[in-house]
Amino acid sequence: MLDQLISSLTDGLLLGFVYGVAAMGLTLIWGVMSVINLAHGPVIALGMFGTYLLFTHLGVNPYLAMVPVAGAGLIAGLVIYVIAVHRVINAPHLSSLLATFAVNMIIIGVGTAVFSTSPQNIDYSLGSVEVGFLTFPASRLVGAFGAILVTACLYLFLYFTRPGKAIRAVANNRMAAELMGIPSSRVLALSFGLGTMMAAVAGGLIATFFPFTILSGGPYELKSFVICVLGGLGNPLGALVGGLILGGLEGLIPTFMPVSWVPVVEFGLFVLVLLVRPTGLFGAK
Amino acid sequence: MAILEVNDIASGYEGVQILWGVNLKLEPGKLTTLVGSNGVGKTTLLKTVMGLIQPINGSVSFQGEDVTNLSAHARANAGMVLVPEGRQLFTEMTIYENLEMGAFSPRARATFNQNLDKVYELFPRLKERTRQKAGTLSGGEQQMVAVGRGLMAEPEVLMLDELSLGLSPLLALTLFEALTRLKKTGLTMLLVEQNVTMALAVSDYAYVLAEGKVHLEGPARELSKNDEVRRTYLGI
Repeated sequence: MLDQLISSLTDGLLLGFVYGVAAMGLTLIWGVMSVINLAHGPVIALGMFGTYLLFTHLGVNPYLAMVPVAGAGLIAGLVIYVIAVHRVINAPHLSSLLATFAVNMIIIGVGTAVFSTSPQNIDYSLGSVEVGFLTFPASRLVGAFGAILVTACLYLFLYFTRPGKAIRAVANNRMAAELMGIPSSRVLALSFGLGTMMAAVAGGLIATFFPFTILSGGPYELKSFVICVLGGLGNPLGALVGGLILGGLEGLIPTFMPVSWVPVVEFGLFVLVLLVRPTGLFGAK
Repeated sequence: MAILEVNDIASGYEGVQILWGVNLKLEPGKLTTLVGSNGVGKTTLLKTVMGLIQPINGSVSFQGEDVTNLSAHARANAGMVLVPEGRQLFTEMTIYENLEMGAFSPRARATFNQNLDKVYELFPRLKERTRQKAGTLSGGEQQMVAVGRGLMAEPEVLMLDELSLGLSPLLALTLFEALTRLKKTGLTMLLVEQNVTMALAVSDYAYVLAEGKVHLEGPARELSKNDEVRRTYLGI
C-alpha cells in the first residue's frame, strides 16, 4: 500500500512540474497586465502539434523540437498581443477576456479544420527508469527536468537582465515605468509573448506523455487557473509549487477514490482557496 | 532661450477640462515653482507636459522641438523627467533596482556610475540599504528614492510634483537642501509644492495657477511680497 502511494505520488509530482510551466505562462501575463489569457489552452495544444509535426515530418528529436516551438510560441504571443489584446488593455477586464476568448475560438476552429480532432501521439520512447521499487517513464523525468530548466531561465531573466527587470517594473507600476523611459507597450507585448512561449513549451512536454487533440489544451488551461490561485496570481515560483501540489493530488486521489473525482477535488480546493486565502497559499500581493 | 515651453495648453480628464490655456517657460539652469491651490491642475499640467495625458489643445516644446505627439517614454529618453506625486516607486523592487530603472534610457546608461555616486552622495541613507525593497521604506526614504531615480535618468529638466507632501518638517528640510544643491549644479527644475513659503524661498521664478490659467508670474522674490499671494497661499 505504501509503495503504491509513493509511486502514485512520484508520478503525479513529475507531471506537476510540467503543469507548473503551463501555469507560469498564465500567471506571468496576469501579473504584468491583469489579463486572463483564455487563449492559453489552444496555445498549449499548438505547442503539442508543433512538437508532433517537427518530430513526425522532419524527424526532429521532440526535446530539440521544443526550441523552435518556444520561438514560434513567443512570436505567436507577440502577434496575439498586438492584434487582439493591446487595444483593450486599458478597458474593463471583460473586454480582454472576450478578446482572448475570440483568439481561443479561432485557434480551435482552424486547428480542427487542419488537424481534425482525432488523437495524435508522439511515438518516441525513452524507456523507463527504475529507482528502488519505483518505475516510471523516463519521459516524465526529462519533462520535470525541462520544467525546472524553464523556470530557472525565467527567474534569471526576470531578475538579472534589463528587459526582465523592465517587465517587473511595468508589472509593478506601469505609469512610473513609462516616466523612466521604459516603452511599456513593448514590454507588455514581450510579457505576453513569454507567457505564450511557456504555454507552448508546456504543450510540447505534455505531448511526450499523452496522446492529444487540438482540444487537449482546455483541461490544462483549467488546471493552470487552479494552480495560479494556489500559488498566488502573478507569482511564477508559486505557480511551480502550485503545479506540484496539483500534480501530487492527481497522483494520490485515484488510489482512494474513482478517477472521476479528481476534478471535483481540484476545483473544490480552488473554491476553498479563493474563499479562505484569495491571495494564494504563498500570499503574494 | 527657454529649454521647455508650454504653449496655450488646454487639458483635463474624460469629460472634465481642467486647464484652459496655460503658458509657461523654463529657463535653463533655473528653479521654477508652480503655485496654486488644491485641484487647480498643477499635477494635470505636469502629466500633460510629460505626455501621460494628451492635451485638448496647445503644444509642448523641449529644447526647441515640438514634443506634443511623443509618448511619455520618448520624452523621458530625451531628458524630460518627472518625479511624480505620491512617489510611484517600484515597490516590489530593491532601491538599487529602482535606481537602475531610472537609468533605463541609453542616454542615462552612459553616465550610470557617475549618477549613482551623485545620488548616494546626495542621500547617503540610500547607500546603506541598496538591497532593501522600496515598498518597505519610510515615506521620507521613499521620496529620496523617487528623486534619486529621477536623477539617474540624466535629466535636462527635472520636474518634481509635491516634493514634501506628507513628510515631517525635518525630512522636508533635507529634501529642500538636496534641491538647493542640485540647483547649484545648474540643473533646470520645475517644482510643484504645497509648502509655498519654502518653495518661493529657493526658487528663481514662479507661476501662480488659478482657474485653469496662469494667474500671476514673476521672479519668486517679488511674488513672495505680492499681497494677493501672501494672503492666498502664504496665509499671512
